Amino acid sequence: MSEPLLTVENQRTAFATGRGLVRAVDGVSFTLERGRTLGVVGESGSGKSVLSRSIMRLLPPNARSSGEVRLGGRDLTAMSEKALRALRGPEISIVFQDPMTSLNPVMTIGAQIGEVLTRHLGMSRKAAKARSVELLASVGLPQPDVRVDQHPHQLSGGMRQRVAIAIAIACEPALLIADEPTTALDVTVQAEILDLLARQQAERNMAMILITHDMGVVAGRCDDVAVMYAGRIVEQASTEDLFRDTRMPYTSALLASIPRLDDPPHRKLEAIAGRPPDLIHPPAGCAFSPRCRYADDLCRSQPPALEDAGRGHRFACWRPMTMEAAE
Amino acid sequence: MRYLFRRFQRLVVVMVSVTFLTFLLVNVLPGDVAYEMAGMDSSEEEVQAIRDELGLDRNVVLRYLDWAGGILTGDWGASFINKEEVWHALAQRFPVSLELMLLAQLIALSLAVPMGLISAYRPGGRADRVIGTLAFASVSMPSFMTAILLIFFFSLHLGWLPATGYEPLSAGLWENLRPMILPALALGLVEWTVLMRTLRAEMIGVLQENYIALARAKGMSDARILLVHALRPSSFSMITLLGLQVGRLMGGSIIIEQIFGIPGIGRLLVHAVNTRDFIMIQGCVTLFAIAFVTANFLVDIAYAWLDPRVRLERARG
Ligand SMILES: Nc1ncnc2c1ncn2[C@@H]1O[C@H](COP(=O)(O)OP(=O)(O)OP(=O)(O)O)[C@@H](O)[C@H]1O
Ligand code: SF4
Ligand SMILES: [Mg+2]
Repeated sequence: MSEPLLTVENQRTAFATGRGLVRAVDGVSFTLERGRTLGVVGESGSGKSVLSRSIMRLLPPNARSSGEVRLGGRDLTAMSEKALRALRGPEISIVFQDPMTSLNPVMTIGAQIGEVLTRHLGMSRKAAKARSVELLASVGLPQPDVRVDQHPHQLSGGMRQRVAIAIAIACEPALLIADEPTTALDVTVQAEILDLLARQQAERNMAMILITHDMGVVAGRCDDVAVMYAGRIVEQASTEDLFRDTRMPYTSALLASIPRLDDPPHRKLEAIAGRPPDLIHPPAGCAFSPRCRYADDLCRSQPPALEDAGRGHRFACWRPMTMEAAE
Repeated sequence: MRYLFRRFQRLVVVMVSVTFLTFLLVNVLPGDVAYEMAGMDSSEEEVQAIRDELGLDRNVVLRYLDWAGGILTGDWGASFINKEEVWHALAQRFPVSLELMLLAQLIALSLAVPMGLISAYRPGGRADRVIGTLAFASVSMPSFMTAILLIFFFSLHLGWLPATGYEPLSAGLWENLRPMILPALALGLVEWTVLMRTLRAEMIGVLQENYIALARAKGMSDARILLVHALRPSSFSMITLLGLQVGRLMGGSIIIEQIFGIPGIGRLLVHAVNTRDFIMIQGCVTLFAIAFVTANFLVDIAYAWLDPRVRLERARG
């Protein structure tokens, strides 16, 4: 079997802060095949964005990173900054959460797409502009030939996110990371953007990491799902297995927070009780134990390892739930 | 349109307050132009006669209104001392001062922008600390001190540049620039530090923005990120400052023109103050005020170029 497109092995990313070392990503390993979609789910602060920036090797100066990130056989952690720059765009790209702040306010839309094309594909400015219009059309932006000369403030949030997607797919990357691409948008626009991402991905055979804190987004859109808690993957399986055969109590709690169609309107989402753990002084045993209703002494003293229970279903829990318990 | 009107209002307010305050100030200075005109050994009666003739004993407000009325009809008056037309005197000296100040700002900017960029790139890094120290050293030195050091080193010691003098542009570009370099440096070396610090501070903020992270994720080089993505959105405060500095620059140029013997407005003003030639003083001050307001108007235009959102508001306004 050939090597997967992306292999992340024991990635650890910590930040040196005044209060101590923040272990934002604490030993994450997974693989992703070409053309597949991996959903990464977890509460705010669970390390999803830090993981995506660790994969792109775009970490702030106070970050300490270790582990291995291999993309198409190359170890990104061993590459020079210059070599990495040549990969960002053509091999791997990202769409950020907030379209209101992720475009440069003083540059035209055309300039922001075009520079990727001139930089990586060696296009002339003129060719890049023509291609930018095509890309804008392909992400469903109305009047692309007008929009290309406009500035971000002249576009709505949904339109800006389409522009961000156009930028991300401009060089046909093998891997696209979408870091909560719809959290800042209206519900109706959210579905449109997610559909757009899915269509672009299928057309271009990109692999995608779709980051979200909403289990509902993941259902039906991802091949596999990894659930993150306190900087670690605590459960990972094919989407179907994860929903049908949930083993980890935290995953189950996340699933319970999905709003259902038959819910009465305005029902409050069932938030998970308790606070996310302190990443500087994490709990001794299972990081979820202070909030887990199944926790016992073993849970509180020994961290459970992430183990494969067959068919690629991995979970880290001392007292995994059975199907009945999940009901 | 409304925008232009607001600008004009501001011009009027600045002009009236500045010129009236100067008028009052000159009025309370001991001695007046009548002494100067009458000569060293004239009697009190002779001086009083001149005063009566010029109407110097009239109420200061009335005299101000007289003068302001003249300005409005295009009559800036003439010097009491040598009968030179104020307008003529200003027209001759203004280009000299303007050149000095433009050169000074050019020097200040060409130091401030690269240094600010380098500092903001790695705040707290070695380059940042070196630049910070340089900036501190040069801002803590008043411009006349810098001037004296520059003269000592470049004129007396090395003999590269003249210590005083002025050549008109008609004498050739280099001939014209040569004596301007040291005075412009003396002014610019004080001004660049504030510009640099302002740019640095704003750029450190901009570099934290999501759109800069996205530019990195697009594989753009650091140089391109600094120059193309970050510089423009980081320049707003610096540009504003550039306009406000014109005031300080005019003050500084008065001293510098004295030291380097440059026949600009500054020298004209100092001479007029010494002889209590109040019509000439008023002329200089009015010109300074116009220059200040114009500079800030230009800053506004630069703003619109820098920030497309401002452009849009302008079009609507
Ligand atoms: N530069 C940094 N310095 C210090 N701590 C940081 C830094 N960046 C992130 N962190 C910390 O790392 C942890 C994980 O953050 P991350 O942004 O990955 O969360 P997330 O899962 O993406 O959450 P969200 O859903 O809110 O986006 C957080 O506790 C955050 O405070
Ligand atoms: S290991 Fe224990 S505390 Fe952690 S999730 Fe499983 S049951 Fe809960
Ligand atoms: Mg995030």
